[in-house]
Amino acid sequence: MKRVNHVMKRVLRGAVVAIAAMTIAEASLSFAQESVAVKATIVTGGLPVDDPNAAIWSSAMPATFPMSPQVHWPNRIQEVTVQDVSVRALHDGNQVAFLLEYKDPSEDLDDAAAFEFMVGDKKAHFAHGQPMLQVEGGPVNIWFWKHKDDKAVDMTAKGFGTLKPQTHQDVKAKGAYANGGWKIVFSRTLSTDHPEEDVQIIPGEFISIAFAVWDGRKDAVGELVEKGSQKAVSSWWYFRADAPPDYSSYMYAAIAAVVALGFQFVLIRKLKKGQ
Amino acid sequence: MGALGKPIILMIAMYLFLKFVLPYIPGSAPLPSSLIFLYLLLTAAGIVIFETLSGESKEAFWGPMQRFLTGENIGGLQALRYGILVLFPLLIGWQTYGSTASSDAPPAESRTIHPAPPGEYTGLSNPVPKTPENIMQGKGFYAAFCSPCHGGNFDGKGPAARGYNPPPANFADPTTIAMLQESYLFWRIKKGGVGLPIEGAPWKSAMPRWELELPDEWIWKIIMGEYDGAHQSPRTWE
Repeated sequence: MKRVNHVMKRVLRGAVVAIAAMTIAEASLSFAQESVAVKATIVTGGLPVDDPNAAIWSSAMPATFPMSPQVHWPNRIQEVTVQDVSVRALHDGNQVAFLLEYKDPSEDLDDAAAFEFMVGDKKAHFAHGQPMLQVEGGPVNIWFWKHKDDKAVDMTAKGFGTLKPQTHQDVKAKGAYANGGWKIVFSRTLSTDHPEEDVQIIPGEFISIAFAVWDGRKDAVGELVEKGSQKAVSSWWYFRADAPPDYSSYMYAAIAAVVALGFQFVLIRKLKKGQ
Repeated sequence: MGALGKPIILMIAMYLFLKFVLPYIPGSAPLPSSLIFLYLLLTAAGIVIFETLSGESKEAFWGPMQRFLTGENIGGLQALRYGILVLFPLLIGWQTYGSTASSDAPPAESRTIHPAPPGEYTGLSNPVPKTPENIMQGKGFYAAFCSPCHGGNFDGKGPAARGYNPPPANFADPTTIAMLQESYLFWRIKKGGVGLPIEGAPWKSAMPRWELELPDEWIWKIIMGEYDGAHQSPRTWE
């Protein structure tokens, strides 16, 4: 009997270890799948909207996204310079600022980069919100920066050939090149007066975001290699501006615990009376 | 304790089975926690119905629970009773916190990889004769138009694939083109990502709408080249 008990204990211990291992493996897997979103951390006392090198950027977690040559429609490109972009974001409840960073071996006047957002509730195709055949899509808002002008152009598109600058320019941008890489700050107010054209950023809500980069290098005959639709692109990922801390869940939890306690009390009293 | 002990063991065994055994059965997948909860609820309901079928079994089932809750003549179990009376409200509070606290996770995305094609693209057969020349030509078109993403080895690992989410299909994987008919591939190549229904998340797909650039005959030849190159055969209903 003792022997049987001993075996049982060993089996149980083994099972506990196995379950713990599986739980840990599952937890680490869900962690590894996570880098799919840029999050804007809340800061007070001003955003570094003009300074890609501001120290405060280090307080925002960078998110890295892989890039591909644009192959969805002609003109395509088979190879691009930029393989990954790293993105950070900060907001102060009024404005949001993004820091886009990527490696680029040469500083060229035609170097350019862009952010793309879905606008409104309808899904938009990541290639400039082009029409889908079975789903009604929405427009995209594109924030475009070019080294030559070092400013942002706030644009709208809904399909191939529809990209155009908006009449209301709400976005600012500033780039800085150093050590073989670009750092570009894009900033805007969280909300604007043009919700049909501009992405509206509501703290706590996830918004679809995508990126594009053009390396402005030229080939042997002086032609731009990356231009127009020949660029590095990303798929849709997520962006979220952090919501202010919300403690209401603690209150709901306390109420639920008190109700459960009361339920126990009443139940036991009834049972005792019943006997 | 017999009428109570067995149900408890059964519930625990059921949970362990759903959580740790079922997902590893080939062809299965991890169950969402809501489904596990539902199954456990059904199990519990079954147990209660079974145990309360007769007056005798009802007393054997509820009796110990009532005695335990009221704390009458339970001796050494008194400490456990207090423990449960304290833990139960805490558990309810914790669950409430978990369901009301804002989540840091992006919206869950369920995407159907092979959604149903429109009716006109079912059951079409490849009109191009399966000759070595046509297969060879199809492979040539594949190399020019498809391999940048789907890969020279038909494995979905082309040089342009890295940034795309969802990733380009891996044709060497037995769960892609080997499970599909040629007419399905004809639809997917012709209409591309934007031709997917809503459950296929068309807004995320980089697959071009090749009908705007390639004649149908080339597409049929590409399909032939794909199957041959990936060492797969189209699904048939014979």
